[in-house]
Amino acid sequence: MVDIEERNAQLRTQLKSNQAMRELINKIEHLESERDKLLTQVHEVEAVSSRFSNRYAEMEEELSTLANLYVASYQLHSTLRPKLVLQHLRELLAQLVGARAHAFYVANEAHTELLPVTSDGVSHERLPRIPLGASSPDVKNQAVTAAVERVYLTGIPHFNEERLGKPSSPKPSDDAPVACLPMRIDDSVVGVIVIYSLLEQKDHFVAVDYELFKMLGAHAATALMGALLFANAEGKLPGFEAIQNLRAAG
Amino acid sequence: MSAEYSCLVVEDSPMMRQLLVFALSRVKNLKVVEADDGVDGLRKLAAGKFDIILTDINMPIMDGLKLVKRIRIDPVHKDTPVIIITTEGSVEDRKRAIELGANAYITKPIQAPQVIAKVKELLKITGG
Repeated sequence: MVDIEERNAQLRTQLKSNQAMRELINKIEHLESERDKLLTQVHEVEAVSSRFSNRYAEMEEELSTLANLYVASYQLHSTLRPKLVLQHLRELLAQLVGARAHAFYVANEAHTELLPVTSDGVSHERLPRIPLGASSPDVKNQAVTAAVERVYLTGIPHFNEERLGKPSSPKPSDDAPVACLPMRIDDSVVGVIVIYSLLEQKDHFVAVDYELFKMLGAHAATALMGALLFANAEGKLPGFEAIQNLRAAG
Repeated sequence: MSAEYSCLVVEDSPMMRQLLVFALSRVKNLKVVEADDGVDGLRKLAAGKFDIILTDINMPIMDGLKLVKRIRIDPVHKDTPVIIITTEGSVEDRKRAIELGANAYITKPIQAPQVIAKVKELLKITGG
């Protein structure tokens, strides 16, 4: 009888122990499930945070591009003095794009040749006049001038990024340009911006450069021609009557 | 809200100055004062106390390196962080600027996020 009671007690203890074990296992499973849920949530939050960080960086970059464009166009149109417009154009390429050597070419009235109007980092005297539509034996570097002429005639920008990062010669105007950009007034190309080399630390163009090139293509010639017309009119500003006449003309 | 920090930007190019002011306007509580060459910079330094100075190197009248030398002997600003902003990117130029007492060196063309990050780092500003 005693044996049976002892055996029963043992069985009851074992049963209790098994029950406790089952509860413990259930608890562990529940906690593991909670941990997995929390880990999933952490990963989701991390992904959202990463998306926000990337978006923030993109927006900062976009803001920086817009600031560059705003400052460039603000400075370009802040004066009607041709000398200052030319200075702003040179500064824009040097400071915002990082161009070390560059020149601005404008076509003559007969559209027979392109003439350099201003330059930086390259001797103005060394810049050739570029005949349009016909090769000239006078032009020393046909390959360089051909690229400039083609951009003027087609209105399509030319980029030679392969040359970037390579050392430039002591006479930058002899090097193949790294970029040639058409300058337009309305739909007509009136000149070409030629970039021969960039600053040592700049080995490629970035997104903001292409945006600045687009802006320059559309605004550089307008600013320059507007300033020249103003200078030709001896700085006389048109009054209300001129605007009224425009309205009357429809 | 009044500005917590003040910054002096010394740059002769109006275009670059405007761009720097734009970039620095993204730093909260930072008041920016502009100077268009080294001498004008000295004048502004004599008239106020600045927490950080950004200067170009190539400027007429007084260049940025001379300005840094003057800043380092000015009792009010001798410990003020100076960032050099320049077109010269060679190691020698960088070394020379740091030897003269500049704390950081940024080459042109500038990227606004880079300028903001450097200013915040030197002013020990965390977050937005």
